[in-house]
Amino acid sequence: MTDRVERLLNLTATLLDTRRPLSLEEIAERLEPAYPEEKGARRRAFERDKETLRDLGVPIVVETADALGGEQGYRIPPEEYYLPDLGLTPEERAALHVAITAVRLGGGAAREGLRKLGGFEGASATPLAELETTPALPDLFDALTKRRVVSFEYRGEPRALEPYGVVHRFGHWYVVGRDRGRDAPRAFRVDRIEGALTFGEGGEFEPPPDVDPAEYLRADPLTYGDGQPVDARVLVDVGRAAWVVDDLGEDAVVERRDDGSVVVELSVINRDAFRTWVLDLLEHAEVVAPDELRDDIVSWLRGLVQASA
Amino acid sequence: MLTLVPWILTHPGTTIAELARRFEIDQGEVERDLELLPMCGLPPYTADRLIDVWIADDGAVSVRLAEYFERPVRLTAAEGIALVAAGRALLAVPGADRDGPLASALGKLEQVLGVRGGVAVEVGEEASPGDLQRLQAAVAAGEQLELDYYSFARDEMTTRIVDPTRVFHAFGEWYLAGYCHRAQSDRLFRVDRIRAARPTGELVTPSASAERDDDDLGGLVYRPAPGDLRARLRLAPGAAWVAENLPTESVTPRARDQVDVVIPVSAAGFLERLVLGLGPAVEVLGPPEAQKIVADAAARVLARYEAIS
Repeated sequence: MTDRVERLLNLTATLLDTRRPLSLEEIAERLEPAYPEEKGARRRAFERDKETLRDLGVPIVVETADALGGEQGYRIPPEEYYLPDLGLTPEERAALHVAITAVRLGGGAAREGLRKLGGFEGASATPLAELETTPALPDLFDALTKRRVVSFEYRGEPRALEPYGVVHRFGHWYVVGRDRGRDAPRAFRVDRIEGALTFGEGGEFEPPPDVDPAEYLRADPLTYGDGQPVDARVLVDVGRAAWVVDDLGEDAVVERRDDGSVVVELSVINRDAFRTWVLDLLEHAEVVAPDELRDDIVSWLRGLVQASA
Repeated sequence: MLTLVPWILTHPGTTIAELARRFEIDQGEVERDLELLPMCGLPPYTADRLIDVWIADDGAVSVRLAEYFERPVRLTAAEGIALVAAGRALLAVPGADRDGPLASALGKLEQVLGVRGGVAVEVGEEASPGDLQRLQAAVAAGEQLELDYYSFARDEMTTRIVDPTRVFHAFGEWYLAGYCHRAQSDRLFRVDRIRAARPTGELVTPSASAERDDDDLGGLVYRPAPGDLRARLRLAPGAAWVAENLPTESVTPRARDQVDVVIPVSAAGFLERLVLGLGPAVEVLGPPEAQKIVADAAARVLARYEAIS
């Protein structure tokens, strides 16, 4: 175990120190504690070390070097290895300590990150919030930092996105940016991305200055997506009226009835989201216009009733 | 180690006790790491190439001949997003100091990561700052509250006496946790469903049951009990996110990209809203009890649309 830690440190130092890529053979000749003699075992041990270091953030690059007769060589470019000095003050480190103990984001990554920034200054905080995480989030963040175009399937369609930001809203993560195929700003819910992400080379675009990713998620989930917006009117019972008005704002109210119910108007692009929103209110709300949206809901409900009959 | 060494190099004379505190590892581990360090260095591992470590009698540590470890390794994407998101989330909490050390620390971090402004976290859109601060103050002062609370699962307004224990944000919502006298057990209340909170004038001391594991906010939320209803659902691709986002007990892929899931049901209202809201992308396979819940709810809502008004 300590041999492995020692070897990992020495490997990092050696690959950082070298100016030209070193072949595995050259590494094995120099490094202590030594890799196994047998070639297959040596390769496996080295690959394992490489993976461990990459997980820690150590950027080991693989290059084909002329000096090695076309063989693959390894090195760590210092400019990619070293974390620039952020110049954090003790107060700023303490504030980050409070932040990562108050807000949990799954796993120990924030703690490992803060260790790299100089450790845990000051006191921790009582947990206050927990954010969901989704496996693709770090990869999308990486694409954002390296300006890589991300390609994926969403609602059955291929998309190529220049990611400008990630936004956490309503308990979900969204990636926002310019959709290259549509040449327009778009937002995608990360946990609804289908299949694998593929990434471009990096440096393929520059986000607009002062980007506000939250603006890409227009204020209302009902308006996500493509297509022409439709104005829908929904009658909401007295029992739910106050919430719905709180939620949509006073501007959405087009009629207040004597029994305390209200009629609100919403701009709808995404019909699925609209149906979810209305039916979340169960029998306390009713779509009054337009007929096409009302009919959508009625036929869906009829289907459900008939299915069980 | 890759974080410990840079700190010692830039802060010579730091002590073992300080390192243990700062990096939240135990002293024994710091000592073991420091014992290992003098065996590390660069080939050919002669005295002038190995790292030099001194530990003075008072525990002060210095390191030499390790210039290549003077800066820590850069952050991984997972560490970067975890730190930035935690910081952005805390800044978004109502009442946060938006010009304080956390804001300046994040500014420096985002600059180095190249994501200036690219991460936005929204928390508590549904809860007004005044409500949150009042509830937090009640928790701090140990004030018993009488809540007017809308029970979502049962779809009714209730009034209940609650001994509040904490306020926190999880799953995109703010919650008040406390002992509910009406239910005679610990309960969670969504802050946006609290219509009024009045101090009763009683002071309460946190009960033993309220002192939960602080590391597990999510654990405060619904946990399926053996006797709870399990609904079997078939999800079309458009509803596939349900399988990843809700606590399913089994997920079985089917033909044509459909999946079958088994979901524990906390209350009828949960299943009603889930299925009605998903629309034609979901089918309730069973058991009959679950099908009946959904059909009854659909009939109830449909009655609104079919009534002659």
